[in-house]
Amino acid sequence: MIDEPYRWVEAISNRREYIETELAPGSPTIGLSFSDGILLLTFGRDRRKIFEIYDRIGMGGIGHPGDIERLRIMAIELASTEGFTRSAADVSLRRMATYSFSPALKQAFEQIYGAPYLARLLFAEVGESQEEDLFVRLDYDGAMHANAMSAGKRRESFGAIAGTRRGLEQVERILSRAKLSNLRNALEAAIRAWGAGLYASGEDQADTPEESVLKEFLKSRLEQYTIEATLLERGTAESHAAFVEVPDSDVESVLSKFR
Amino acid sequence: MDGSNQSSPLAGDFLSVLKQRRLISDIPNSAGNRSELKETSATTILGFKFAGGVLVAGDRRATSGNVVMYDRADKVLEIDRHSVMAIAGSPATAWEMARILEHSFQFYRRSQLQEMSMEGKVRALSKLLRDNLGMVIQGVGVVVPLFATYDKKSSDPAKVFFYDAMGAQFEATDFASSGSGALAVRSVLYYENNWGTKPLRERTQEESILLALKALDTAAEADTATGAIDRHGRIFPIIKIVTKTGVETVGDDKLSVLFQTHVA
Repeated sequence: MIDEPYRWVEAISNRREYIETELAPGSPTIGLSFSDGILLLTFGRDRRKIFEIYDRIGMGGIGHPGDIERLRIMAIELASTEGFTRSAADVSLRRMATYSFSPALKQAFEQIYGAPYLARLLFAEVGESQEEDLFVRLDYDGAMHANAMSAGKRRESFGAIAGTRRGLEQVERILSRAKLSNLRNALEAAIRAWGAGLYASGEDQADTPEESVLKEFLKSRLEQYTIEATLLERGTAESHAAFVEVPDSDVESVLSKFR
Repeated sequence: MDGSNQSSPLAGDFLSVLKQRRLISDIPNSAGNRSELKETSATTILGFKFAGGVLVAGDRRATSGNVVMYDRADKVLEIDRHSVMAIAGSPATAWEMARILEHSFQFYRRSQLQEMSMEGKVRALSKLLRDNLGMVIQGVGVVVPLFATYDKKSSDPAKVFFYDAMGAQFEATDFASSGSGALAVRSVLYYENNWGTKPLRERTQEESILLALKALDTAAEADTATGAIDRHGRIFPIIKIVTKTGVETVGDDKLSVLFQTHVA
């Protein structure tokens, strides 16, 4: 039955609907580029969601933990074997996403007798300058969105994933207006964007939340969620990994403004 | 492209990933005929504990038979933020081992989301040496390294290990040395530790650097395969210090000053 074109399209669209429903309640992950590097931030309840992939690459994900884990290991293996056989400088997020991840995700999604990946990923790669910072969003169907076409071209200084399209729009609305001069501003903007994204992913929140509503919402959510904030530091020596946890003191001082 | 964590027989093992993808050549394990090839080899390396951690040093010479191949070889290699490997023997094999080791530790940390234990790291190098046995029997690619690390969890955090060519690992109490000039260095360190101004473990960083310079100079005096300090060419030994805060390389400027004022 599935070999009829119409059935195939129908099966794919059912599958898309199913995955979107599963991903909808996911907690957004925010990536923000500023002078010192890239901040990756999310909130979770019981498991880590931001991971180190290679020297300059980090990853965040929404979806089934098993699928995120498979994709994470795939990324680490790809990057590590490339870095070992060639050099760390040859490990490139754009190549990895375009030539390896996108086709693999698309294939799994369209093979309707097999299981698709229940995951939406955000990759970030810190460059030598802010113009070279790269964010790539990869969806379960292999669709890919990067923050710029290539270094130096018109670009967004952020990347994000959220459970729903509306959630993502809210996140991007806040991030595109944020003025970032240091880590604390970046933390503050990212926390607000996360709140707005989670709020808008809720069932019937069609409109942009009022500032006071968002504040209340964030305050209540901070009691249930734990923050996860990581920095991809710019300009670390070649042999060192750029991926470091943001110090608790910085996180706490910013979080206290929202409590 | 199976991404599951179970794809390799041992989770987080980078070496099996490389083997699976055929990215490293299998080392022939049969004992063939001894080759007539004159191998590039090296060295004098040493490591000892001082008040702040461990110091690891090595000369810069690589030789092939009686020919000096290179006088700027780096035989003390940073493996991760708290470990250093120093190599004596065939650089071709040793540098490859260091590369595998560096990637293995990172791969383990990234994929398994925890740091490999100190024992695990020491064992990993032992396994690489064991894998190299086939080459050793054929008389090429012999490597006899030192491994130094700082294990914050231990009550005696500074650690120095030395190995034999088959992969046996030995933990040194105070100091270890390897390479063609090892005996001279060992004598100097033994003497200094027992009858010197104070035991090695009580010395400051600067006193330790000085001792390392003198010990390497002593080795170079009698051993042609060990490079002496070349003031004109500004070639100084590589000295790395492993402490609580991580690995630090002592700069040539500092070595130059210390050498001029205390050694020369």
